[in-house]
Amino acid sequence: MLNYIWAGLIIFSLVFAAVSDVRDLTRNTYRNGDPLPVTLVFPEGYRPEARHQPVRVRIDPTTYRAFYRTESVPDSAYAGELVQFRTGRELRFAKDVDIPEPLATIRRVTSPRENDLRGTLQALTFVSDSLATAAVLFAPVRFVRLQAITDAAFEFARTAVTLALGLIGLLALWLGLLRIAEAAGLVQHLARWTRPLLRPLFPDVPRDHPAFALITLNLTANMLGLGNAATPLGIKAMEELQKLNPRPDTATNAMVMLLAMNTASVQLVPPVLLMAIMGSAINELILPIILVTLASLVVAIVAAKLLGRLPAYRRTDPMLTTNNDPKQPETDA
Amino acid sequence: METFRTLIETLSLLVLPLLIVSFPLYGLLRRVPVYEAFVEGAREGFDVAVRIIPYLVAILFAIGMFRASGAMDFLTELLRPVLSPLRIPPEVLPMAILRPLTGSGSAAVVLDLIRQYGEDSLIVKIAAVMFGSTETTFYVLVVYFGAVNITKTRHAVPAGLIADVAAMLMAIYLVQWLFA
Repeated sequence: MLNYIWAGLIIFSLVFAAVSDVRDLTRNTYRNGDPLPVTLVFPEGYRPEARHQPVRVRIDPTTYRAFYRTESVPDSAYAGELVQFRTGRELRFAKDVDIPEPLATIRRVTSPRENDLRGTLQALTFVSDSLATAAVLFAPVRFVRLQAITDAAFEFARTAVTLALGLIGLLALWLGLLRIAEAAGLVQHLARWTRPLLRPLFPDVPRDHPAFALITLNLTANMLGLGNAATPLGIKAMEELQKLNPRPDTATNAMVMLLAMNTASVQLVPPVLLMAIMGSAINELILPIILVTLASLVVAIVAAKLLGRLPAYRRTDPMLTTNNDPKQPETDA
Repeated sequence: METFRTLIETLSLLVLPLLIVSFPLYGLLRRVPVYEAFVEGAREGFDVAVRIIPYLVAILFAIGMFRASGAMDFLTELLRPVLSPLRIPPEVLPMAILRPLTGSGSAAVVLDLIRQYGEDSLIVKIAAVMFGSTETTFYVLVVYFGAVNITKTRHAVPAGLIADVAAMLMAIYLVQWLFA
């Protein structure tokens, strides 16, 4: 299943990016090679010898909409700068101004670092000292989406490592504390207490196994919204379950159950991130969140149990396909 | 409700300090060499973190590409006519699809919806309940299974996704019933 979802994400992304880029090319969304007519206002008057001079750019809304075949409307004027070279003139929009699509995309692609939209000025004709008409030619924009997905792939690969390395400290702290608890016998005590509750959900785990204690700690941490404690505890619980697993590359039913219970997110306290986003508006949502999260926990448990009984998943159950399966006596092997 | 909330919040504030202090204290009482035990356990932390890197890279770069490709808008448009008769606002679809994939991405969806519709809107409430009541399924899957090098996940993905879908639908209907 993960194979298909993974491959699906990559193929989907590629297809959508390619299709929208081809559509942009055939529609000529960015009008590559066609100059956009503008009016320039020189607040200090035009000075032919000045290399840089301030300018206000006016784009006629009707012309803009017809030119780019879009619904978006430009502002009445944009601050900018006229730069004169020996070879020609360049118009630069002020940094970070709010410009409508598709100009925003053109800026993002052609000037990612400076974030000022730049174009070559053509046909500069003066109406008066401080007013001129002209046309701006922007650099051609092609394959925006394909470039975007490549950039995203690289960026997220880096993020993955940052995330993992950021976990080192937390993992070390929790796994260290747990080792003390194990050596002191605390984990075994906790396992004995919580076993009656968890045993029906994890029938393959032997009585008094320390995994029960770690699963309890993991689920408790989750419930109280202690995300950074829940993950190390869950990992440790997985490691305990892995010790019982005769086939180390395949998940056992117990592991799937633990994972399902974690992804269903048993939470009594909403995630910190959500509280930060919503502020006090979160208050009236706490009850619905608790209700939904409890219900989805039940669904997760039932789903994990029932799916585990499907023939396809039964066949791959590491606990059944090894020699303690009554249907496959050892003599067969 | 209010006292329950205070109780839970106090508890979650106190659990961490209590755990961090009580483990070494109890160990000392049981004459465990606490410092040595801690360091020995902590050493594993590094191994685990390094072990999950390949799994995280594999899943995150694919998710990153999906987000950047514009497939989201396409899916929303495609499903719009199917969703409206079911009383599912199409605006919350990006949340439902992105939530199992990326935590930060779906948080951005909530922020975006707040900007567009305001904090008191039904759509934002639905999206927030969706966010609060589900987990980043694929991240949890990759981290937990990656830590023990499991690649054949069997029914873990379907079970997680079924729970997610159930939570999304319940969030939609419960919020509409409570607030609309």
